[in-house]
Amino acid sequence: MTYLAKPKLHHPDLPKNALGLTRRDYEGTISTLCAGCGHDSISAAIIQACWELAVQPHRVAKLSGIGCSSKTPTYFLDKSHGFNSVHGRMPSVLTGANLANRELLYLGVSGDGDSASIGLGQFAHSMRRGVNMTYIVENNGVYGLTKGQFSATADRGSKSKRGAVNTDEGIDLACLAMQLGASYVARSFSGDKHQLVPLIKGALTHPGAAFIDVVSPCVAFNNHEGSTRSYDYVRHHNEAVNSLDVITMHKEITAEYPPGSLQEVRQHDGSVLRLRKLADDYDSSSRIAAMSYVQSHYARGEIVTGLLYVEPDAIDLHEHLGTTMRPLNELGDKELCPGSAALAQFNASLR
Amino acid sequence: MIVLGGGNTAMDCCRSARRLGGEDVKVIVRSGFEEMKASPWEKEDAQHEGIPILNYLVPKSFQHEGGKLTGMTFEKVKAVYDDKGRRSLVPTGEPDESFECDQVLVAVGQENAFTWIERDIGIEFDKWGMPKLDEKTLQSTLPRVFFGGDAALGPKNIIWAVAHGHEAAVSIDKFCQGESLADRPPPHMNLVSQKMGIHEWSYDNNVVPDARYAVPLKELKLALKDIRTEVELGFDPQLAWKEAQRCLNCDVQTVFAPKLCIECDACVDICPMDCITFTPDGEEAEVRARLNAPSDNASQDLYVGAGLKTGRIMAKDEDVCLHCGLCAERCPTGAWDMQKFYLEMTHAGPGCRSRETPRQAA
Amino acid sequence: MKTLQATNDFVIKFANVNGSGSASANTLFAKSIARMGVPVSPRNIFPSNIQGLPTWYEVRVCEAGWNARRGGADLMVAMNPQTWEKDVAEVTPGGYLFYDSTRPMPAGKFRDDILVIGMPLTEICNATYTDPRQRQLFKNIIYVGALAALLGIELAEVEKLIGEQYKGKEKLLEPNVKALRMGHEYALAKLPCPLGLQVQRADKVGDKVFLEGNNAAALGAVFGGATVCAWYPITPSSSMAEAFAKHCRKYRMDKETGKNNFAIVQAEDELASIGMVIGAAWNGARAFTCTSGPGISLMSEFIGLAYFAEIPATLVNVQRAGPSTGMPTRTQQSDVLLCAFASHGDTKHPILFPQDAKEAFEFTADALDIADRLQTPVFVLTDLDIGMNERLCDPLTWDDARTYDRGKVLTKEQLDAGARFGRYLDVDDDGITYRTYPGTHPSRGSFFTRGTSRDRYARYTEEGTAYVDNMQRLLRKFETAKHFMPKPVVRPAAKPSRYGAIYYGSTAPAMEEALALFEADGIHLDALRVRAFPFQDAVIDFVNDHDHVFVVEQNRDGQLRTLLVTEGALDPARLGAVLHYDGTPITARFIHGDIAKRLSALQVTPLRRTVAGGASGE
Repeated sequence: MTYLAKPKLHHPDLPKNALGLTRRDYEGTISTLCAGCGHDSISAAIIQACWELAVQPHRVAKLSGIGCSSKTPTYFLDKSHGFNSVHGRMPSVLTGANLANRELLYLGVSGDGDSASIGLGQFAHSMRRGVNMTYIVENNGVYGLTKGQFSATADRGSKSKRGAVNTDEGIDLACLAMQLGASYVARSFSGDKHQLVPLIKGALTHPGAAFIDVVSPCVAFNNHEGSTRSYDYVRHHNEAVNSLDVITMHKEITAEYPPGSLQEVRQHDGSVLRLRKLADDYDSSSRIAAMSYVQSHYARGEIVTGLLYVEPDAIDLHEHLGTTMRPLNELGDKELCPGSAALAQFNASLR
Repeated sequence: MIVLGGGNTAMDCCRSARRLGGEDVKVIVRSGFEEMKASPWEKEDAQHEGIPILNYLVPKSFQHEGGKLTGMTFEKVKAVYDDKGRRSLVPTGEPDESFECDQVLVAVGQENAFTWIERDIGIEFDKWGMPKLDEKTLQSTLPRVFFGGDAALGPKNIIWAVAHGHEAAVSIDKFCQGESLADRPPPHMNLVSQKMGIHEWSYDNNVVPDARYAVPLKELKLALKDIRTEVELGFDPQLAWKEAQRCLNCDVQTVFAPKLCIECDACVDICPMDCITFTPDGEEAEVRARLNAPSDNASQDLYVGAGLKTGRIMAKDEDVCLHCGLCAERCPTGAWDMQKFYLEMTHAGPGCRSRETPRQAA
Repeated sequence: MKTLQATNDFVIKFANVNGSGSASANTLFAKSIARMGVPVSPRNIFPSNIQGLPTWYEVRVCEAGWNARRGGADLMVAMNPQTWEKDVAEVTPGGYLFYDSTRPMPAGKFRDDILVIGMPLTEICNATYTDPRQRQLFKNIIYVGALAALLGIELAEVEKLIGEQYKGKEKLLEPNVKALRMGHEYALAKLPCPLGLQVQRADKVGDKVFLEGNNAAALGAVFGGATVCAWYPITPSSSMAEAFAKHCRKYRMDKETGKNNFAIVQAEDELASIGMVIGAAWNGARAFTCTSGPGISLMSEFIGLAYFAEIPATLVNVQRAGPSTGMPTRTQQSDVLLCAFASHGDTKHPILFPQDAKEAFEFTADALDIADRLQTPVFVLTDLDIGMNERLCDPLTWDDARTYDRGKVLTKEQLDAGARFGRYLDVDDDGITYRTYPGTHPSRGSFFTRGTSRDRYARYTEEGTAYVDNMQRLLRKFETAKHFMPKPVVRPAAKPSRYGAIYYGSTAPAMEEALALFEADGIHLDALRVRAFPFQDAVIDFVNDHDHVFVVEQNRDGQLRTLLVTEGALDPARLGAVLHYDGTPITARFIHGDIAKRLSALQVTPLRRTVAGGASGE
C-alpha cells in the first residue's frame, strides 16, 4: 500500500546463499495489498524458501489468475518471468508452460475464489495430471477485491463482516487435492512462517503436483469475530500434525531426533523431507488416512496443518506423456520437421 | 615546498602555499593515505588543486648547502598491526627517498598554551597545562571563571564548543543566582506522531541511497590566483534539497503498542533491514543471537515490546533502523507509529533555576 | 424409360446406417475409381451420433476434375430403411436405385422413372457367414464388388487397395477379397451389367493425392514445428488432434531415446486447451489447438488475453453449422466474424482461409510462423467439408531450405550484449516488439505478462495515453500482418468485366466450377479468392475496380462481406451476398443460378442506385 519503493539498503550482515544472493535479491516490487494482508506474509515465505534453496530466480516461472492473491507474484522474484492470466485459469497456462520447458520451476499462486470457485475445474485437472509445480492457494475465505463476499472455501456457519452467515458447505482444497492425485499436499497458516517456509521448500523440490493451502487472513474483510479465517481463530484452532525440515542433496544431515518420532522421505532429486511428528496418530504417507484425519478434525472445528500427504515416488505429467528430457522449446527445425523426403512418402501413401 | 603532516592544518598549509606562489607543493605524511587525520573532502580538495600526497615516508634529515635548505630525505615504512590491532610503522628496507625543496612547512599539530593566564590568580592547571575543571559545569577552581571550547577539555569541534557555551551559561546563571551548579534540570523531550494519511508522513520517509553530493567549486585557475577567493561555491537550492533528502531521520522513532498488535508479521516482512523480530522472551544476549538478523552491536539497546497475545515479545534492533516508516505503513492496527523526538535543552535564564514554575511544552 | 447414360461424370450416393461399418467400404469404392485415373470427390454426410442414425456418402465421379459437390444422385445405394423414401425421391429421373432385396418390398415403395436393381445382400451374407458382425461388415464389401461390376470399375484396383489396407493383417485380407469377388460375380451373373453409368480408365488424376483436411492440417502442424497440442474433443475437429498424435508418433519420436519430441494433452475443456496453448507459447514452444465454433466461444476470454498480452497461439477452427450446437455435423463458414473479433474490447485477429487439404497443410504450418512473428493468436479457418472429407488435391510439398520464423525473441547473448529490452517497446516501427522466453537470463529480460494495461516496459498502468499508445501499436502490428499472410488469388475472366466475385475456403471448388459455367455461357466474371484477413490492398482494390462484386459464402449473414465493408470502408451496395447455409456444401449449380439471376437483374437496373445523391438521376 505504500507508494514508495522499499529501500534497496539492507542489513550489512545479510547472509548470502550458495549463489551469492541475499534474500533481498528474491524480492519483487512493493506490495499494493492492504496493510497486514496474510498474502504478504506468504510472499515473504516464498522469498525465504527460494533463497534458502538457492533457487536461481530466473529459472522460476510464476503464474497466477485474478484476485488479491494473484497480484502477489509481482511482489516476489522480480528476475522471474511472471504471468497474470485470467480468472481461474492459471492451472492450464501453467500446464502449457510446463509442457514447453520442463526444466524451469513452476510456481502457481492462486486464491480461494480463483481456485475453488471459478477455477475449480482447472484446479482439479492440474492435480489429476500431476503437473510438476508448486501450487499455492492463499485462502482467506472471502472475495477481497470485490469487497467481502463469501468464497467457496468459507466454512459453513462463518460470519461475514456485514453479519451474513454462510450456509453453503466450504470446499477443502487440500482434501480435494489429495483425492485428485496431488502427490504433495500441505496446509499452513500465513502467520506461521516457521511451518510455512519448509513446506514451500518441500513443495519446490517435490517432483510432481505439490499443493499448499495457506490460510491467510483478510484483514480488511475477514478478520472479525465470527470469522473462521481470522488471525485469532486460526491460532486457536490450528492443529499442526508435524514439522518439516527440507534437506537438499548438498547438505549433510546432522540434526538428531528421538527415534520413532521421525519420518524421512527421499525425493527424486535427492532431497530429503524430514518430518517430525507432532501428532502421534498422524500418517502422512497414507492418502486415505490423511483425508480421514483432516475431515474428522474439521468436524471438531480444528484446522489440521502441516505436510498432510506426500508420495515420494511421484510421477509427473511429462513422465506420463513420455516427453523428451530436452525442453520442447529448445527443439529446432532439425528435430521437428520431417522434411520433404518424408512428405513424398506420405503423398505416396495417399494415392 | 614540502608540507609535513596529515591533518586538516596540513591541507590548509599546502593549499595556501599554492596560492602564495608555491609552484611545486607536496604533502608528505608518515602514515598511510587512508589513516590521515584530515577529512576525506579536505584531501580531495588538495589533490584537486594538483598537490600530491605522498605517504609512508618518515622524515630523516634536512639537506642544506651554504646555509640554504635544498631538500629532505625520508625513510620508507609500512604499517604493521599487532594482535590488538595497534599499528606501528616499520622500515621497509628500501632505499631512502629524497625530495628537493627550498621550504618546509611543519604542520604536525597544535596544543593549548595558557601562558597568558597568571598562575597565581586561583585557576589551577593540571600536569598537561590544562585548567582543572568540573566537566559538567565547566567551572574552574576559580569559581567565577568558566571555560569552554578547545580551551576547556582539549581540541574538539565547534558543536562541542556550542554545547559548552550552553552549559557554561546555565552554570553562570545559577552561579549568579546563588544556586547550586550541580543541581541542573534535565532537558525537555517529547514524541509527536507523524502520521498524516494511509501512506503519508509529516517527514520525508523515502530513504535515498544517494552518495554525498560534492559542493561545486570555483574554477581551479581562478581559485589558485588569490588566497582571498572562496573556493567552495556552496549548493544551489536544487542540490541542497537533494543533499538534505539524504537525512537519516534520526529524530523519528518507531513506537510500538503491543496491545494493538495482531502479530500478522506485516512489519517483519516489509522491514528492509530485518530489524524487527517476534520471538519468545529470553535473556538479552541470547535473544540478540536469534533475531531475524543477529544484533551484534550491544552498545545499541534493543527496543522490546511485551504483552502480545501469543506471549512472544517484539524485539527491534535500533542499530540498523532506517526510520523509513514501512513497518508503520504496513501495520493494519496502528500498533506501530512513527513519532518525532523533540529535545529542548535547558537554557540559561529562569528555566534553569530550581524554584521554577513548570515550563510550557516545546 | 430412358435411363441416364454417362461415363466418368455422375454422382453416386450411399445411404447407410452409422456404426454399420459402411465408411471403409465406401472409401474403398471411391478410391478405386481414383486409381483408375478418374477424379472423384466423396463427401460424408453424417449425424451427430455413433450408432443407428442415417449417414450418407456421396461420390462425385468427374473426369473434368470438379471437386465440389454437384447435388442430386444418379445412383442411390439405399441401405437404410429409415431414409428409404427420401433417398428414393432424391434419385435423378432416369437414374438408378440399388438396394438390398432380401426383404420383399411393395411396388409403391419404388419409382417408375428410375431403374431399380435389387440384390439380396443379407441373404448372401447369411448363407456365407455365421458371425453377425461379419455378416454386417462383409455385406458392405459385397455391394462394393457388385457396384464394381455394374459401373465397370476394375476389380484388380479394388483388390490392390484391399491388399494395401490389410498389409500385415493377411488374416483379414483374404475374407475381404472373397466377399468382394462374391459380390462382383453375383452382379455379373444376375444384375443388368453394365449400367448406363460407367467408369472408364483415364489419366486425369496424375500425382494427386487423396487427402482429408484435418489430416493435412495435422501434418502441417508437425512440419510447422508445433510441439504442444492441447485440445478438447469436438466435431468436426477431433480427427485433427488424433491425426497429429498419429503423425507425431511416426515423425517425432526421438530415435535414440524413444522419447517424444511433442506433448499432447486432451484438456478438460476448450478453456483449458487454449490456456495450455498460451502457456506453452509464452514459454517458447510452438503450440496449437483445434476446435470448432463452440470452442472458440469458450476460448474467447483467453484469446483476448493472448491478443493484448501478445502471445502467439495457433487455432484451427474446423467450422460447423451454428449458432449454439446448431448442426454439429454439417458444414458452414459461419465463424468468420467470431474469429476476426473474438473476445471483449477492441480485438482483431489474423485469419487464414485454406481452400482444401493442401492449403490446410500449408496454412497450418504458415500459421505457426505467423503467430510467432506477430505474437498474437492466428486462426486457420477450415470447415467440416474440408476437414472431414478425403479429396483429391495436389501432392503436399515442403521446401527443405525453409526455416522456422520464431519472430522477435531476444537470446541470452543478445541481452548480454546490452540489447535494449522493453517488452512492449516498438523499436522498428512495425508494431511488433521483442519478447524473451522465461529462464533466459539471470538478470535481464524478465517481465510480467498480464491482461491489464501496461506501458512499453510491461509495467502496469491505467494511464490513458499509455493505453492508447499500446492500442495504436497493435493496429500497426495488424497492418504489418498483411505482409506475412498469404496473398489473394485473382482469376481474371477471359474478357474485361465490370463484375467480380469474391470467395474463400471450401467454397473454392464450387466457385471454380461455376466460373467455368459462366465462361461457357459467355458471361465474364472476374474472381478473387481471399486467403487471409487482414485483407491486403489487392482485395479492396478488386472491389473498387468493379461495379459490382458478389461475395459467395456459406453462412446466413454474409460475414466476409460484412468484414470487407467495415475493414475496407466499402459501399455495401456494390457487394452482393451469395449465400448458401443449409449445412450441405455449396454447389456450382447454386452459385451459377444465383449469380446469373442477379446479373440479369443488374443489367436492366441502374448500377449503384444507393450511392448518395441518387446517381441514377431519378
